[in-house]
Amino acid sequence: MTYEEVIFYVIAVPTVVGAIGVVTARNVVHSALFLILSLLSVAGIFILLSAEFLAIVQVLIYGGAVTILVLFAMMLTRVRDLPAALDGPQRPFAALAAGAFMAVSIFSMVSTDWPGETDKINVISIEQIGNDLFTTWAVPFEVASLVLMVALLGAIVLARGEEGE
Amino acid sequence: MIPINNFLVLSSILFSLGIYGVLARRNAVLILMSVELMLQAVSINFIAFAVYLSPQAFTGLIFAVFVITIAAAEVGLALAIILRLYRNKSTANVDEADMMKW
Amino acid sequence: MGAQEAYLIPALPAAAFVVLLLFGKYLPRGGDFIAIAAIAGAFVLFFPVLADFLDKANGTDFVSAEKSWKWVQFDNFEIRLGFFVDQITIVMLAVVSFVALLVQVYSVAYMRGDPKYGWYFTCMSLFAASMLTLVLADNLLLLYAAWEGVGFCSFLLIGFWWERRSAAEAAKKAFITTRIGDVGFLIGILLLWREAGTFDITEIFDFAERGGFRDADIGGLGLSGNAYLTIAVLFLFAGAVGKSGQFPLHVWLPDAMEGPTPVSALIHAATMVVAGVYMVARMFPLFVLADDIALDVVAALGLITVLMSATMGLVETDIKRVIAYSTLNSLGLMFVALGSGSVTAAMLYLFVHGFFKALLFLASGSVIHATEKQDIRELGGLAAKMPVTAAVFGIGTLAMIGVIPLSGFWAKDEVLHAVDQHRSVVLYMLALISVFVTALYMTRLFVRTFLFEARDRVAWGHSHDAEPLMTLPLVLLAVLTAVGGFVVFGFVGEALGFPGGFGKFVFFEDPEPFDFAWDVAIFSTALAVGGIVTGWYFWSEKAEPARRAGEALQPAYETLRNRYYIDDAYQWVIDRVVLTLGTIVAWFDRNIVNDTAVDGSAGLGLFAGFELKFLETGKLPNYALAIVAGVIGLAVLLLVLRL
Repeated sequence: MTYEEVIFYVIAVPTVVGAIGVVTARNVVHSALFLILSLLSVAGIFILLSAEFLAIVQVLIYGGAVTILVLFAMMLTRVRDLPAALDGPQRPFAALAAGAFMAVSIFSMVSTDWPGETDKINVISIEQIGNDLFTTWAVPFEVASLVLMVALLGAIVLARGEEGE
Repeated sequence: MIPINNFLVLSSILFSLGIYGVLARRNAVLILMSVELMLQAVSINFIAFAVYLSPQAFTGLIFAVFVITIAAAEVGLALAIILRLYRNKSTANVDEADMMKW
Repeated sequence: MGAQEAYLIPALPAAAFVVLLLFGKYLPRGGDFIAIAAIAGAFVLFFPVLADFLDKANGTDFVSAEKSWKWVQFDNFEIRLGFFVDQITIVMLAVVSFVALLVQVYSVAYMRGDPKYGWYFTCMSLFAASMLTLVLADNLLLLYAAWEGVGFCSFLLIGFWWERRSAAEAAKKAFITTRIGDVGFLIGILLLWREAGTFDITEIFDFAERGGFRDADIGGLGLSGNAYLTIAVLFLFAGAVGKSGQFPLHVWLPDAMEGPTPVSALIHAATMVVAGVYMVARMFPLFVLADDIALDVVAALGLITVLMSATMGLVETDIKRVIAYSTLNSLGLMFVALGSGSVTAAMLYLFVHGFFKALLFLASGSVIHATEKQDIRELGGLAAKMPVTAAVFGIGTLAMIGVIPLSGFWAKDEVLHAVDQHRSVVLYMLALISVFVTALYMTRLFVRTFLFEARDRVAWGHSHDAEPLMTLPLVLLAVLTAVGGFVVFGFVGEALGFPGGFGKFVFFEDPEPFDFAWDVAIFSTALAVGGIVTGWYFWSEKAEPARRAGEALQPAYETLRNRYYIDDAYQWVIDRVVLTLGTIVAWFDRNIVNDTAVDGSAGLGLFAGFELKFLETGKLPNYALAIVAGVIGLAVLLLVLRL
């Protein structure tokens, strides 16, 4: 086991632990905190993959904005005050389905013979990403910003409610 | 010297946990969080493929950027919808929103 | 404009039909002027076609003109929509367009005030278009389509006054009866196509002459090529039997008289019913190539029809039905001529028959119009009140009887001559007997309608000759009836531009010019005159001799009155066999098809839907679980396929 692999496991384990916490915690706020743990670990994975730019974006957007939004939603919907159980009645089936999916997915990932080198990480600089994003991918980029704007406007309209409500 | 399979297996595990969360949870906010986990898994997959297998085009990397962007939009909208549901039905549990059934 | 553009002739009435169908309601007078203009245009267009055709004839050799378009194409098999002009077509075009024009002009007066006046002319236009297409078609498929088209128009027009139950029944009877023959016709066409691989008439002839009909094996039945061809032409002839009202499918024609009288004149005398004769004449080379039995059947059925219809005409009292029987009589004679191998005689008879039979019908229409009676027991003495009608009716009657020198004489003698030449003496004798009987019942019809004492004084009192619009066509037809037979003479034909006279014109491949046989003429004239005299004796004044004869021969009289019980037999078959079968089928349909299959499957769907709807819980997690299950299934499937 190389030291790189050691680092990988050091980051991967909190990721998985955080994820398990998200889906199993009995307290919604704990769930949200586990999510933050998981998201930040994923940012670490991104760094390990030499995608520093994405790691920064991840920390900013997920670790910051999304988590805050989720917490706000919890507060506004008073999830903690609800007496009902957090898990639905089909939990055993969910476990079965998730397990089956995991088996199929891991099996196909491992058994596939990927083309190209599979053990060397190629460093892609932020400069390269920026260049590509604003040349080759300029139109999708603009469309994505439009989608973002429309989604936020829609969110405002939805959440604001009707007149006189 | 990390083999690509490490990342792929990690993403599989994350994605499966996300699926479990989506299926098992009843609260819409928790489901949303599980969906975020699934998106993270997808992003890891994209980036791993980009840096290992196609460093020239690195389309996966670019795609990961878009995934994060769209995820942000999705979270905003989904939370608005949840708020709306809560205001109308006084619940955020998806299995109680079954007005569309027969 | 020449023979190549002959397709414009049916196109005009077809266009008139479309216009009348769409806009007839908004046009003044129901748009009758459009229908008449179209058929008049068709008649006018006939002349350049004729002139062009005769020009190309250069002496003796007629060249038929053709024009065709691709209609349907499958791979390397195509059906063409084509028109074809040859001598037979020319004769038919002349009769159809001219009689149709006169009948439509006559109809303007006859149908005036009818609530469905516009619809009448719409149907007439469709009929004219179909009939003209029928005579111009160069392939059997188009011929068949037009054949059904005229049948459909006949149905519409017989049932024109469908509010009357008898008219609706008659229309149904005519349609169904002719359909029986038409199925045979279609089978014949398909049998020919099966071997020849084409619907084109000329190509089929070439194929047959090359000996293309080989030994065939149909459903384990080994047939020689000639037998195959014979069966095929007999099926074709079945179509003619239905359309032209030959025994045993003759029952519809007398009932068809429920339609307006001009319709009877056009469709059930001059044009549609002779389509069968036309078709057999058109396909005649095949009948010649087939076994002798084919023509034997044609002649035999023709003769049976002649004798049956003539005898039934003796006791019929409805003026139109008597003429209908005379039509059957004439059609039978045409088939006898064809069966004796003489297309010339058949076409000549068809040509003059178109004129004198339309004349008889239109004149009887005038009588009905004036008296509102059509039972000859209530008529009589009309000659004094309707001199013109009586005169033209008399000319028509004499032509039908075959009195020299009217057109019917020449045609009928040509038929008799053909029988004398090519058939046994028994057939010849029977044909001569039919001449006598024809004279008998036609005399009866004329005498009882126009001469002696009127039996219904009221109707007689207000009757009068019809207005000029109706009388003019009558006079024109009477003139043609009188002189039309002269085309048989070579010099007359040549003077009109037909090289070699009518016989040569109609049947050039095997020239059979008009051949006047003194013995035949003397026999037939003697019998005709004898028939007239006998008829006069029997039915003059109070018709005492006829009454006594009827009483003396009571069983025969009853048989004739009941039309040889053929209608009753058919009715029995329909009641007992068809309806029994129908009841079984209806039971099967109601219980098995409807209740079990249709309602059953619907009920199953309903039940399944009711049960399955509970799967739709409306709960999001359930749906998500199903989606995941599906994804896993697909992933596994892909893995399995990949491995």
